[in-house]
Amino acid sequence: MNTLTTTAEDHRIAWLAALAITIHIAESALPSPLPGIKPGLANMVTIATLCIYGLRTTAWVMLLRVVAGSLLLGTFLSPTFTLSFSGALASLLVLTVAHLLPAIRFGAVGYSLLAAMGHMSGQFAVAYWLFIPHPALLHLFPILMTAAVLFGLVSGIIVATMLKRIP
Amino acid sequence: MKPALVTRADWLVIVASLALLPWLYATFWSSDDTAADKVHIIVDGKELPPISLHQDRKLTIRGSIGTSTLQIEQGRIRFVHSPCQGQQCVHSGWLSHNGEFAACLPNRIALQLSGGAARFDTFIY
Amino acid sequence: MNLPGRHLLLLTLGLLLLTGCGAARQTRIHHSQLLSFGTLVDISLWDASPEQIENAERIIHDELHAMHHDWHAWQPGPLTETNQQLRGGEWFVCPPAILPLIVQAKQLYQRSGGLFNPAIGQLVALWGFHSDTLPKGPPPPKEAIASLVARKPGMDAIVIDGQRIRSTNPAVQLDFGAFAKGYAVDRIIEKLIANGIGNAIINAGGDLRAIGRHGDRPWRIGIRNPRGPGVLAGIELSGDESVFTSGDYERFFRYRGKRYHHIIDPRTGYPARGVTSVTVIHDNAATADAAATALFVAGPEEWHPIARRMGIKYVMVVDDKGRIHMNPAMARRIQFESEQKPEVVLSKPL
Repeated sequence: MNTLTTTAEDHRIAWLAALAITIHIAESALPSPLPGIKPGLANMVTIATLCIYGLRTTAWVMLLRVVAGSLLLGTFLSPTFTLSFSGALASLLVLTVAHLLPAIRFGAVGYSLLAAMGHMSGQFAVAYWLFIPHPALLHLFPILMTAAVLFGLVSGIIVATMLKRIP
Repeated sequence: MKPALVTRADWLVIVASLALLPWLYATFWSSDDTAADKVHIIVDGKELPPISLHQDRKLTIRGSIGTSTLQIEQGRIRFVHSPCQGQQCVHSGWLSHNGEFAACLPNRIALQLSGGAARFDTFIY
Repeated sequence: MNLPGRHLLLLTLGLLLLTGCGAARQTRIHHSQLLSFGTLVDISLWDASPEQIENAERIIHDELHAMHHDWHAWQPGPLTETNQQLRGGEWFVCPPAILPLIVQAKQLYQRSGGLFNPAIGQLVALWGFHSDTLPKGPPPPKEAIASLVARKPGMDAIVIDGQRIRSTNPAVQLDFGAFAKGYAVDRIIEKLIANGIGNAIINAGGDLRAIGRHGDRPWRIGIRNPRGPGVLAGIELSGDESVFTSGDYERFFRYRGKRYHHIIDPRTGYPARGVTSVTVIHDNAATADAAATALFVAGPEEWHPIARRMGIKYVMVVDDKGRIHMNPAMARRIQFESEQKPEVVLSKPL
């Protein structure tokens, strides 16, 4: 019988993903004022991970959260999953670009804002093209983006404050 | 060295995202600004005073071969009836955007909408 | 710590700029309509002085007057007199208002392979379209149509010698219905330019020529859905371009459930079949007008070679099944507005 050798990084990813999934599930139980608007608390785990452990770990945590989280919630491969997954992918893409930009050092607040806006834009684009290609939906976009900026800013400041307290 | 709570780059992102929001509202909420609010009716080359599209009503206008009926409803206007043979004016249907026009040439009645931003400068068939 | 303060200032400036752009929008557009001699002309002028606007309206009025008086196909005037003389077959001095139209129409007749044929006035009259009211049917007898077609009236039968012309075929009767509007629009634009007007659209009942731009953007033209309400597509024009459309919905009558429209195929003597409308973009309005008719007659299968011969670079043909045939260059310019895009058939490049 083979034993699977695991590294410290694997353990770290597993712990962080578990934390993100817990927050993700807890948040999904909260009532939402408008479909599509959520505080995105799991985003805070992503940002903290990015600031401390870098891009590779972040990508794993994020993808694990979306896939495993949806398996636990029973939404895997449903429209909700498609939206969540496209949001995560877009957000990851934006973070990757931001992370790889030379000579620009973003902090938690910048990353958080970028991730939130990327998430919302990606999710919205997929919702529009795949599910409801109706022009009326476009009117929602600025409202959703306002929420994304607001929550992105707040969770970014929380993460930045938290990181400052970590020795 | 203690990292700054908010870096210079972060400030840039904050400013950019806050500036993006008004732009988003301007872009995605502007589709209605082409809606017209007035109609100009020209009878036999003479223009009547403009009529608001925000008051629902029926208009009967005497042209050169008979009486045409126009209907204004919820910011739109249409020819309901016209004594012409071709009935192209009636087939034009509802008009609601700035710059749109319809005419009953045999009866010498033309109407054009104005107010709001024009999405098109002129129309062809 | 004054860094946040500076950024706040930057932010405020940015917001001011954004809102400023909106408020600074000026209305330097003049828009008016002229209903003269049965044609509704929609005029758009950008950045024109009140004097230029007045001049423009006078020019348009005068040209439309010329079109309706000099070139009328059945009301007595220079064109009906010319037709009478042509029937005689003798040399005569052509009225100066008519001669340049004949010269240009002869060229377009050649280049369209005879599909744009303003010499078939007798056929158009036989169908009853030489009247202010539409015919009620029935369609003319088969034999009458066949005998007129057999006499092959064509523009090549008109011989020009300086100011004098004659016809070698007594069946020739000129009807510039598919051409006069384009010719008039060209003359209007020429005179507007001479008056210092550089940015304008002259839209004569759905056929137009646009010069210049709408300030910092091109002119935007909406194409109305001919079979229902709403806008089908949009198109942008800048520089100097004409858009002309020939449609079977412009003049027609129904008889026993069948539609008979005014665009007569000179080869058969019957209304051309297979097409609902043809839209052509070309720099010259008269050419665009003639080409729209010629391509309508050519039909959904044969328009391409004719367009190439006539030097037309942008063509859209809507066939009787609602399919849209376009050359690739035209397809790149047409922006469909409706949610359901119609079926588009792309042709080879022109």
